[in-house]
Amino acid sequence: MNLLDRTRSVLDRARQLYRGTGHEPRLAEMGERLDEPLRVAIAGRVKAGKSTLLNALVADRLAPTDAGECTRIVTWYQDGHTYQVTAHPRGEQPRQLRFHRDAGAIEVDLNGLAPEKVTSLTVTWPSQALRTATLIDTPGIGSLSDQVAGRAFELLAPEDEETPADAVLYLLRHLHRNDLDFLRAFHDTEVSQPNPVNAIGILSRADEIGVGRLDSVASARRIATRMAADPNVRRVVQTVVPVAGLLAETAATLTESEVAQLRKVAELPVREAESLLLSADRFVQQMPELGLTSIEREALLARFGMYGVRLVISMMRHKVATTATELAAELTDRSGISDLREVLSSLFFERRDVLKSRSALLALDRLTRTEPRSGSEAVAAEVEEIIASAHPFRELQVLSAIRAGWVTGKPDVVAELERLIGGAGAATPLRLGLPADADDPTVAAAAGDALARWQRRAENPLTGHELAIAARVAIRSCEGMLAALQERR
Amino acid sequence: MTVAPQSTNQNPITQAAAVVDLGLSACEAYGRDDLAGRLAAAKRSLTDPSVHIVVVGEFKQGKSSLVNALVGAKVCPVDDDVATALPTYLRHGDEPAAELIFEGDPPRREPVELKDIERWIVEDDPTPRTTGVVSAPATVREEQPRPAGVEVRLPRRLLAGGLVLVDTPGVGGLGSAHSTASLAASSMADALLFVTDASQELTRSELDFLAQARQMCPTVVCVQTKTDFYPAWRKVRDLNQAHLTAAGTDIPIIPVSSTLRSRAVAANDTDLNNESGFPELISFIRDRVRGDATTRLASEAAAGVVAVAEQIISQFESEKAALADPAAAQQVVAQLTQVKERVEALKSAAARWSQTLSDGIADLTSDVEHDLKNRIREVIAEADRAMEDTDPADTWAEMQSWLESTVAGEMLANYTLLRDRATALSEQVGQHFQEASGEVLRQFPVFNPTPLAGSVDVDHNIDLEKMKVGKQAMVALKSAYGGAIMFVMIGLMTGITLGPIALGIGVIMGRKGLRDEKKKQVAARQQQAKNAVRRYCDQVSFVMGKDSRDTLRRIQRELRDHYTALAEELNRSNAEALRSATEATKSTQAERDKRIKDLDAELTRLRQLKQRAEAVTAG
Repeated sequence: MNLLDRTRSVLDRARQLYRGTGHEPRLAEMGERLDEPLRVAIAGRVKAGKSTLLNALVADRLAPTDAGECTRIVTWYQDGHTYQVTAHPRGEQPRQLRFHRDAGAIEVDLNGLAPEKVTSLTVTWPSQALRTATLIDTPGIGSLSDQVAGRAFELLAPEDEETPADAVLYLLRHLHRNDLDFLRAFHDTEVSQPNPVNAIGILSRADEIGVGRLDSVASARRIATRMAADPNVRRVVQTVVPVAGLLAETAATLTESEVAQLRKVAELPVREAESLLLSADRFVQQMPELGLTSIEREALLARFGMYGVRLVISMMRHKVATTATELAAELTDRSGISDLREVLSSLFFERRDVLKSRSALLALDRLTRTEPRSGSEAVAAEVEEIIASAHPFRELQVLSAIRAGWVTGKPDVVAELERLIGGAGAATPLRLGLPADADDPTVAAAAGDALARWQRRAENPLTGHELAIAARVAIRSCEGMLAALQERR
Repeated sequence: MTVAPQSTNQNPITQAAAVVDLGLSACEAYGRDDLAGRLAAAKRSLTDPSVHIVVVGEFKQGKSSLVNALVGAKVCPVDDDVATALPTYLRHGDEPAAELIFEGDPPRREPVELKDIERWIVEDDPTPRTTGVVSAPATVREEQPRPAGVEVRLPRRLLAGGLVLVDTPGVGGLGSAHSTASLAASSMADALLFVTDASQELTRSELDFLAQARQMCPTVVCVQTKTDFYPAWRKVRDLNQAHLTAAGTDIPIIPVSSTLRSRAVAANDTDLNNESGFPELISFIRDRVRGDATTRLASEAAAGVVAVAEQIISQFESEKAALADPAAAQQVVAQLTQVKERVEALKSAAARWSQTLSDGIADLTSDVEHDLKNRIREVIAEADRAMEDTDPADTWAEMQSWLESTVAGEMLANYTLLRDRATALSEQVGQHFQEASGEVLRQFPVFNPTPLAGSVDVDHNIDLEKMKVGKQAMVALKSAYGGAIMFVMIGLMTGITLGPIALGIGVIMGRKGLRDEKKKQVAARQQQAKNAVRRYCDQVSFVMGKDSRDTLRRIQRELRDHYTALAEELNRSNAEALRSATEATKSTQAERDKRIKDLDAELTRLRQLKQRAEAVTAG
């Protein structure tokens, strides 16, 4: 029986046990949630670029963005057949709201509802991107309004309920002490311990790192690599990916007319263009003869940012990309969003079942502990049994132990261990350090080698206690990979 | 001695210097070298007024770029990732030069090539300071101690006139121990430039920091950087202005672009310079910051002259009284003789001011110590409570940073108590002295503490040399304690560590079946953690306690010396008056008339001097 089935069966048992109590809807929801797309929350400090990243991932301008603090209500974006927005007021029935799109962004009419009374909004939108994951946009922490900031905590680390998110993208601008506290709050649970398995760090607004220099993105990549190696970061997120959200969002929605407008600047003599691009104010105010209104220019800046405008013009001038299609591809590439998608798919989507089960089991564990009734110990015991014995969970536990620095050994050995149990992604070739398209015999050979190696390590009396325990998990991972190959044959 | 008509629209420093010079020649003319000493000290600080502007802010907000753009030279290293790790002091010098400053008393200085300073200023290891712990020195530098700062001298007009710009390390999370240290430093500064970039509104922690800094420092300005890069900077500025107003502060916001300014300086482009917003910032620094500081210095120096003039005037007036009416002369002599005894009493240890001082210091010492103990005890209790419910294995890292920043905050509060109480004590002692001296010689007004004396010889760091509050206690505080506090704190953060907590693999691999075993391990770790917290707090109390005691002793010494010297001056003035009055009784009518005429002329000059000095005092 696979993990998801085991989870379902224990859920069923719990449902029978709690039939007729007020907890039935909660259990029903847990069951439904198992089959829904993965819920990914986007969290971070104020103005980290959460809504922008969400738009970039959906490749549409859905979430409103602004220079001031913008998102104040937790908003869910999920796939559906119709376009609709639902408000969930505190202590009342959900109600549908009217909305319109303002320059793409969804403007919701709260229809007299006070924003502080609304726990969350749900935006249902037919979208390919939302089919694999439901995205949750959160207000920033460090907000000047304590109430707004509190909402993100409420969502990610609720006091008395399970967290509604299965995984989280955490946006960091530069490392801030508060960021880590926030992540810890999210991970402070029995099964996970401080656990990086369901979080990815994103160095956001990567285009701003060098304050406009064209090598900003390269700089951001270096910084992200450095951050990802920091022990404090490692124990809370799997990795750190640099993303220039604004570039990605704009690339996904680039229009021909915007390109035509920027071409006018690119066609200027170099010196004049340079002088115009010296500052945002100059770009908006100088050279009225250019044939662009200041409103058009402001719109361009809002869409591309100073970095984006300079980058596009430099690319046009050097003929790297000239058409809207070429530019969109080039911008997408430089924004880092494709890398993020890859990382998301290997670290989250391929592990969907585990993350889903994990959420459900956590919720069950909490329910049986806080609302015990006769027979609930048996359910609790079964939950515990799954958590302790299911191999994917053992992997996650060892993974977090490595991340926390509790498993020690030769660096290359620990690195191999981490990869083998899925630290870089759950796919078999990734675990074995092989290219994604490696053929079966190569994979089988590598898995066999790894198995033998880790069996030796597990039995070696000189291997440390912690590493030996971890080695046994690695052995099981290798066996699992070999078994899967066998089945395919 | 002549008094030139005063010109009104001169620099206050020049005016004050002229008045002080006149006062000095008066002292010389009347043979009062004791009074001259005081004025000489005031003159020294006038010729080298130091005005400290401290640049603070979060990580990566463009502090170093701002400083570079201000002086039009690339002095402070700027990088996308690594950040400033050492405070850099920029001051005026005829030739560019740099020195490393090492901790010590007095601080040790070591010349260094200007081009090499980068290697000292930036962090060795660009790992983020997540817990407020300053990264350990790299191996290359392990043979020698790490400098506490870098001083750079540059021939720049902006810096001439005593301006010192201090670029500080990013506080790495305002609200951390490090930011508390920055706050302590800001209490010693004449002005604070708080740097925040235009990418977003002020955050909660930034706003909290600003509100606190506003109470510690007389002039705070919020500099919004990178306006060239963020199109919406006006909107962000307006939002910030609203936040600042809502927080009840009057802190102005000056938006600037360091990039534009640097280009403008390189290309000598006035328009671009105006676009950069720097002219406004510079005139703010020149007029408000330096203006305020120099006005204060000038008025303090002039107040010294007023006091000196008054002493001599009253001496001459007694003599004149004795000369004018021979019948009353005996009485004047008798009075002055009586006064002499009282002045002697004023000098003695039994005098009330002296009692007040020694009792006050003794009380203060025990109060400050008690306060610190109390604070630390509460921290420990809170830490214990927090640890009851958690497993230190999970929370130790947070615990460490919490503890560091809480302890730093308590230290600052304790230091503020010491500062405020010491200032109050100084005022009380001054008052008692004034009362006693007023009683004995109503005609001699006593000039309350010369704030400038005694401080010029201490050349420590940003805080020490010149001060903003005109109180003797502040002088002592700043040189003895305040100067140290930033370093004490940083020293504590690096020197005293909590150390790791040993972990068993049980934590991570433990099944719930092993709950009892797990509980035992947790309890052991909790005990270990509690002990570590206690050890840390003990060391902090020890260092801090010694520091406070030393400071208070120093304050006591400075105040005692100051008032004893003042009593000595009074004594001398009185003796002179007595001598001249006695002579007056013996002289002939003709001699008397001549002397009275002379005295009248001198008195007119002295009164003019006093008036002129008062004009400077009034600013």
